[in-house]
Amino acid sequence: MTRLTRRQFGAGAGAALAAVAAPRLARAQAKPPVVVIGGGVGGATAARYLAQEGLGVTLVEAKERYITCFFSDLYLAGLRSLDSLTHGYDRLAQGYGIKIVHAEATGIDPAGKTVELGTGATLPYERLVLAPGIAFKFGAIDGYDEAATHIMPHAWVAGPQTELLRKQLAAMEDGGTFVIAIPPDPFRCPPGPYERASLAAYYFKQFKPKSKIIVLDSKDAFKAQELFEEAWARRYPGMIEWLPAQFTGGVEAVDLKGGVVIAANARFPAAVANIIPAQMAGHPAEAAGLTDKSGWCPVDPETFASKLQPDIHVIGDAVIGGEMPKSAFSANTQAKTCAFAIAAALNGTPPAAPHLFNSCYTFLGPDDAFTNAINFKPVDGTLKTTDFFLSKVDATTEQRRRMAVEAGGWYRSFMRDVFG
Amino acid sequence: MHAAFGARGFVQLSLAAILTICGAAAGGAAEFDQGARLAAICASCHDPDGKNHGVPPIAGLDAKEITEAMARYRASEEPSIVMHAIALSLTEEEVASVARYLANKGKEAAP
Repeated sequence: MTRLTRRQFGAGAGAALAAVAAPRLARAQAKPPVVVIGGGVGGATAARYLAQEGLGVTLVEAKERYITCFFSDLYLAGLRSLDSLTHGYDRLAQGYGIKIVHAEATGIDPAGKTVELGTGATLPYERLVLAPGIAFKFGAIDGYDEAATHIMPHAWVAGPQTELLRKQLAAMEDGGTFVIAIPPDPFRCPPGPYERASLAAYYFKQFKPKSKIIVLDSKDAFKAQELFEEAWARRYPGMIEWLPAQFTGGVEAVDLKGGVVIAANARFPAAVANIIPAQMAGHPAEAAGLTDKSGWCPVDPETFASKLQPDIHVIGDAVIGGEMPKSAFSANTQAKTCAFAIAAALNGTPPAAPHLFNSCYTFLGPDDAFTNAINFKPVDGTLKTTDFFLSKVDATTEQRRRMAVEAGGWYRSFMRDVFG
Repeated sequence: MHAAFGARGFVQLSLAAILTICGAAAGGAAEFDQGARLAAICASCHDPDGKNHGVPPIAGLDAKEITEAMARYRASEEPSIVMHAIALSLTEEEVASVARYLANKGKEAAP
């Protein structure tokens, strides 16, 4: 509420008066069309809440099924099926009246307010919400291009890449070395690589106990480091070696034939290598003129309207959102804030105060999880952390077990919230 | 976040409330309820059918139970840092509004 500006308040008041004057007229008009591009967590949540606000919504997503990247480390460890992480769009279509178009969005015309589809069709919009997720900056690591992902998978977009990495880990001989390369900030799911190391260790400990995991970081420290390192020492002693950039000089190249990950100061032969490349906003953000020099999309944190293209909103991982991390939960709360702001603008409903929150449930083992809980607030055009909490490093076995159960329950409810 | 809810915020809230009342009286924005939007915060974690899969259910609670629980969550990081953060992010008015909405929804859903 404190974030209503005079301008927004005035707009809300005017709209409310207009609604009072002619409620029936307003209702008789066609619903203003809103197009959402991207059927991941951000896009699906936005579509659902825009529809709930009474707007006519078309969701454009090429794929018929969405597989969540979050919780996919559990699949890698053999603790969940990929099927349990796979979601469709039927309930959004049937329960919320959202028109689902399975096509590639090939272009955006901000002046004409249309989206061009790979099918040749054009979709007009009053407002456009773009939730394109991430793309990879191939070329940042020498020799690591699109083709290289079939040999050293990134497994950072869930699906065939995740299955490939799982197959490689399953085929690896006991005593092999699994190398994980972590990109520079910002990237999708900040605790993800360290969770991956933890759960790979859980898998190795059962089936290939002589194996090692080398984590090559682009940083010299990482978030929740104390929690991870405590768990690695307690659960998987001697198995995980985390090497900060100051020791290795950072990953510079890969030798695909030799199976070597090459850092500035050392070479790391790998039985299995997981290269997580540097990232930027997904297609078609850049082509639509929505990205800045960082490769990400700057937005107004109150409405998630692009700072570069009016009438286009950007949410989720593609956003350069101040202190807000690139996570599914961030995307979900951004989508709701964005949907209510669009509804206020198009329907004349009162504006809603942004409620931007993130929580990342992170697994250290099947019955050992922790979380953070962070509130964010728009301040001077960016997003600042207002409250930050993190599970305690000395949490009891029972608290850790309960957090793992809570995480499973959260996933289930969260997917209902996102996909209906 | 609630700490920043100063006199200015209160005035705006009151104006918003007056607007809502005006709208209701004239039959215009009568159906509008910020409680529904605020309940979207709860829906990120709590099961819509009130089942307990690991996150305690909130469907079916009455407004008083919800507001009292939120006051306890706001006061302490125990037993849940997630609920502590959520409680801190909501003003008292917002808690009252979402509690009212959820309780009414629960009554509608009850046989």
